[in-house]
Amino acid sequence: MSAPVLTEQAIPPVAPATTRRSSWYAYLRQPTVALSVLVLLVMVLMAVFAPLIADEPSGAGPDVLQPPSGAHWFGTDDLGQDIFAQVVWGTRTSLVIGLAASLIAIVLGTAIGLAAAYFRPIDAVATVITDVMLALPTLPLMIMLAAVVSPSVWTLTLIIGFFAWPEVARLIRSQGLVISAMPYIDGARVLGATGWRIVTREILPAVVSLMIVSVLLTASRAVISEAGLSFLGLGDPDAWSWGRILLNAQRSGTIAIAWWQTLFPSLAILLLVLSATLAGMRFNDTRDPRRNGG
Amino acid sequence: MKKTVKGRWRLAVALGVVATLGVSGCGLNEDNSSSSGSSDTVLRIGTTTDVSNFNPLQSLSKTDSWILNAMYPHLLRIDENAQKAPELAKEYRYEDDGKTAVFELRDDFKWTDGQPVVAEDVKFSAEKIMEYKLGNVAAKLTWVESIEAPDATTVKFKLSQPYAPFAEGVGFWMSIVPKHIFEKAGDLSKFPNDTNWVGAGPFVLDSMTKGQRYVMKRNEHYPLAPEGKAAVSQVEYRVYPDVNTMMLALRNGDIDLMGTPVPVSAAKTFENDSKIKLEKVGALGFAHLTYNMKNKYLADQQVRQALSMSVDTKAIISAVLQGDGQQMAGPISPIFAEYDNTEIQPYPFDPAGAKAKLAAAGYRDANNDGFFDELSFGVACDQSNANITRVVQLFRESAAKAGIKLENECVERNTFLTRTKNGEYDIDASQWGVFDNPMDQLRSTYLSSNPGGINYNLLESAEMDTLINDAAGTTDPEAFRAKIKNLDKVVHEQAYLTPLYVENFQFAYNASKFTGFSPSPSDLLGMVTAYSLAQVTPVK
Repeated sequence: MSAPVLTEQAIPPVAPATTRRSSWYAYLRQPTVALSVLVLLVMVLMAVFAPLIADEPSGAGPDVLQPPSGAHWFGTDDLGQDIFAQVVWGTRTSLVIGLAASLIAIVLGTAIGLAAAYFRPIDAVATVITDVMLALPTLPLMIMLAAVVSPSVWTLTLIIGFFAWPEVARLIRSQGLVISAMPYIDGARVLGATGWRIVTREILPAVVSLMIVSVLLTASRAVISEAGLSFLGLGDPDAWSWGRILLNAQRSGTIAIAWWQTLFPSLAILLLVLSATLAGMRFNDTRDPRRNGG
Repeated sequence: MKKTVKGRWRLAVALGVVATLGVSGCGLNEDNSSSSGSSDTVLRIGTTTDVSNFNPLQSLSKTDSWILNAMYPHLLRIDENAQKAPELAKEYRYEDDGKTAVFELRDDFKWTDGQPVVAEDVKFSAEKIMEYKLGNVAAKLTWVESIEAPDATTVKFKLSQPYAPFAEGVGFWMSIVPKHIFEKAGDLSKFPNDTNWVGAGPFVLDSMTKGQRYVMKRNEHYPLAPEGKAAVSQVEYRVYPDVNTMMLALRNGDIDLMGTPVPVSAAKTFENDSKIKLEKVGALGFAHLTYNMKNKYLADQQVRQALSMSVDTKAIISAVLQGDGQQMAGPISPIFAEYDNTEIQPYPFDPAGAKAKLAAAGYRDANNDGFFDELSFGVACDQSNANITRVVQLFRESAAKAGIKLENECVERNTFLTRTKNGEYDIDASQWGVFDNPMDQLRSTYLSSNPGGINYNLLESAEMDTLINDAAGTTDPEAFRAKIKNLDKVVHEQAYLTPLYVENFQFAYNASKFTGFSPSPSDLLGMVTAYSLAQVTPVK
């Protein structure tokens, strides 16, 4: 669309501090945003303080396949382990992989996107690579890679991060192209600024908000990828993850009789992904000058 | 106005519901009419995957063998008590001091094209297996020098040396194929056998839809069936890759029998279903932890014994198998009662004792992290095996108490199989499917020449080789048994492996429609052996 080009031009890339604070306030005041951010905060707290909330699920207990009760909020699995504890500990893995993978994707994607936006000769190559990466069937490729390497939290993070950068690169590039055509970039160039300085000091700050949105969206995609890979048995067998709880239920054939074993981890995935996506999308909206102006 | 809109909505919804019910009712009726007509003797069995190889001499897959064993007869079968029973062979004996094995065949088996099954077919099958080194039977025919078929019902295998369980092993494992069909195929290692099937079992494949179903028609001459042919006119295998779906299909009446056993944790599924019955059988294999002797530390007997002391097999049986399994001491399963050395006891679960043993053997924890510095091992397992992955999880926790650091390396099935094949593991946690006799088992698991390809210890011990070869050449049954028992003890003392359990398998079937199954032990045989399928009768 060409409309944002015009409006972006009208807005200085760095807004005054007061407007920024009030726009954050306006952003958080939206009920969906407040709820989403709250959910995300709770998840982060759960991940950080997991050992305080529940013991790491281990061993085997006598209460096998118990439905949710006071003693076991989310019920127990076929070994008698508490599903609530598994979900809480799974939050750690899911969040760590989600965030770390999305950071990898953001760093790679931003670097490639900005380079493509500012340095013309790089653009052709980078665009082709990005398009090729976008056209690849990522899930089968991730499955193949994950099957070849030893599964661990870090290898999974790397694999997911590596396959998530093209979307970010494409977003950042398109925004970067708009910015680099602006008069103040020409001004900087006339003043003798180097390419490196222009990209890092002039263009990068202008795409930061887009990066924040990407972090949230990419992280939610990464969480889904991690759960998917773990469900397929390609996850870290030593770390609890939501996908692994689902895999346990599927493998032991208890899906039909123990609904709690699949419902709660699925709900956790849904909540995390939904709130990250909502928070990201609303943030994107607040940054949209057309909406703010109106 | 608003009210009427609401009312219309209600009407529409109600109509919709009625329509759906009507349609599904019709669907049900249709289903009933098709199954209550001429085809009410179709037995539908759930399988997990497609047939990967239709060549019975070559295929090694469990699910393939369910279908192929119903088509191609074997000389012997394993009955419900884990004993060899006659199938195509009426009897077998040894002549010439054990150097000739003679099978006497029945004369009433017929191929579906009308030809009789004769000794030449047996000779042809064995010779082709030897020529092209096909399947796992090739290793069992190692000693064969020549095969003779003096008449239509006698086959003689001349051996280079006596080998006590030769006839049992070959008789049970070798599929007999029709010579007049297979000899036209040329190179049997490349023969797909995927169309126009001719068999002599109770059922023979007729058609298939990949990913969905395999339809087998009755063989009108099958002498082991009570009426001279099976009572069921058609057997249909349906593919359900996921066990949850297969269980639901059984409950819904889409299938009548599950080929795969019901996971212990899921047995409750059928608790309140009066139509579904569970049939329990024993195992012919067992789950085990096997130590890679190429690892410097695992080559130390003290370390292996300490590891054996850090596995709580009793807790594993009660938690993972819900108590439905048997503990083992040595490598010989209690199902071979006459060979099982009852003098040896399983290593006691004693992590503290294991820790003391390792400290006494000179292992140190210099960095004080609670683990012995050198003792860190990976435990490889197949991620798709629910029980074994649970075992590894529990083993890792209990070994930590003994100061041994274990890493869970349960990976996706194909990766696991590749790693196992290449010896890329420290500890292998897996399940042996079927051993039909202890001698073959010891040969394939401990001989340095690794004839069966499952010497997961990668053991190369001259002492073990001597003991095994000595036992293999022993023809006197009493001495043979004593030698096997001694090997059982040696392996136990060396702790080459830690046997975990012999589990029971439960097969679920729709007892309101079919009865008369004759189950055999193991999940390879189970309810779907040729003999069992031939005995099944529909419930009137």
